[in-house]
Amino acid sequence: MRYDRDIKNAKAIDRSSSRKTRSIPDITSRNPSPPQLHPHNTPSMEATMVLLPGENVPTDHLPKPKKGKLTLGPGLQHTPPSTISATTAGSLQVDHRKAALWLEHAGGRYQPSVGDLVIAQVHHSSVDTFSCALTPHTSFAILGQLAFEGVSKKTRPQLKAGDVVYARVSKASKWEDVEIECFNSATGKAEGMGQLKGGMVFDVRPAFARRLMMGTDKEGVSKGGVVVLEEVGGKVKFEVAVGRNGKVWVDSGSVRETVMIGQLLRGADEGGWDVEGQRKAVKKALRDV
Amino acid sequence: MPHATRPSTNESAFVLSALRENLRLDSRALDQYRPISLKFSSDPDVYGQTDVRMGKTRVICNVSCEVITPYSDRKFDGVFNINCELSPLIGAGVEIGRPDQAELLLSRLLEKSIRRSNALDTESLCIIAGQKCFHVRADLHVLDHDGSILDACCLALVAALQHFRRPDYEVHGEQVTVFDVREREPVKLTLQHQPFCVTTSYYDAGTIMVQDATLLEEQCREGEIVVSMNRHGEVCQIAKYGGVPVDALSVLSVVKQSWEKVKMMDSVVREALSKDERERDKGGRMKAELSAENERVMERPVG
Repeated sequence: MRYDRDIKNAKAIDRSSSRKTRSIPDITSRNPSPPQLHPHNTPSMEATMVLLPGENVPTDHLPKPKKGKLTLGPGLQHTPPSTISATTAGSLQVDHRKAALWLEHAGGRYQPSVGDLVIAQVHHSSVDTFSCALTPHTSFAILGQLAFEGVSKKTRPQLKAGDVVYARVSKASKWEDVEIECFNSATGKAEGMGQLKGGMVFDVRPAFARRLMMGTDKEGVSKGGVVVLEEVGGKVKFEVAVGRNGKVWVDSGSVRETVMIGQLLRGADEGGWDVEGQRKAVKKALRDV
Repeated sequence: MPHATRPSTNESAFVLSALRENLRLDSRALDQYRPISLKFSSDPDVYGQTDVRMGKTRVICNVSCEVITPYSDRKFDGVFNINCELSPLIGAGVEIGRPDQAELLLSRLLEKSIRRSNALDTESLCIIAGQKCFHVRADLHVLDHDGSILDACCLALVAALQHFRRPDYEVHGEQVTVFDVREREPVKLTLQHQPFCVTTSYYDAGTIMVQDATLLEEQCREGEIVVSMNRHGEVCQIAKYGGVPVDALSVLSVVKQSWEKVKMMDSVVREALSKDERERDKGGRMKAELSAENERVMERPVG
């Protein structure tokens, strides 16, 4: 059997349609990428196994690969010839259809990886870059001043310290600065990225942000188990952008509605509400507004 | 490494516009405190440890004492110290040993409110004048910072001082016997009054007054007024370190509002203390059997 390590595939490939104006919301991404199932919503599987860092995955939990290749997602490491060990603490998730394994962990720290959509705050600007913070108290990410749609050397974007942008991580490695860009460098289009004006930025846990970004499967059921935004979007008009670094930008018509949405997000995140609980909470909040 | 993280312009503009509409992000009223939870140590032999939570802000306080020689210029007084240091537990931007302005103000305000107001009577800590006295020290640790750490620290400290028991002692001439906690029931400290701190943050040149601000609200504010007073309405100190000027009538109304909050905090502490005493003293027999206090019998004078 040949094991093929494929870490980055486990996260988003192309979820740039996460940001849209809506009256009836539609957060589905066009190309859902592998593993998107979440413990809250998976069909009944064997009891989820929790692994601590350094523990090996027992061989009876490994799926049978069809072509002899097993895909490893985040949190797992392959030591040849046939040991797979966990690098973080989390519950083991297995997808038998795609022969993939990964660890789901509710970590509090966001680590940038290529292709992630993030909400970055500009800290200062230098000659031809902006230095942005993805998470507090970490090194800055570099955003090129020309990495926007429709700018040239003469017309640069006017971003000041404290402005908030929606960007995608283009380069992320342990030894270099993280680089982000506000346009799709392949097509040159903004695709929803760029400066976010007005509204409010709420902090959520990175694992919750991931669930928010998972989108819906074929039957319309939310894969991440979070229906708060869809339920509210049925009645209230608002714009939302979800950053994988644990930030959600919301802009609605009135301050009261934005505050309500923020409270629902916090409740779903910290209260750990399931789908039914979320629906009830949304109904209650909509009645009060 | 960046030190302090300022909120984005979107966030500060939104917080301000919400406050102008009398809204806060967690739907509280402008002068409403978050629910305060006050817990004491569950160990029956340990007195003087408190754990206070105000929303996500969490502070623990530990009061301890030892017998030392008093200062030569204050022969009749014991020694009382308050230590409050912020650690990187609350945020990566904080360093131990290098206090920034916020930390200095925190210790200074606690000193003014509790030590200088003589909340703890240091003369009662004296054992033999000039030779032996008690040294009571209070250590405060902030575990989580989501705004209002001064209010939480003061509450934790006052509750811990009221909960703490010092060892009992007997003096025979020049001989002092300090009893161990297993020999004689320890004795409570004498507190003359219980001061609490109320921080009021203001916005829009003092027209909007907010109490118990969260960390985000604190970062967006224009200034703050700290009032320390006890439940009888006696003000220990009023502090306004810089910030946008506020007119005097607003300061007076802030003091009045703070009095209501102080009464609320005082009732929280009292309730927690009496609940704890009931739990530690099940049946009420311990107090009666182990106390060294005499029951004073009023005798009619003879003759």
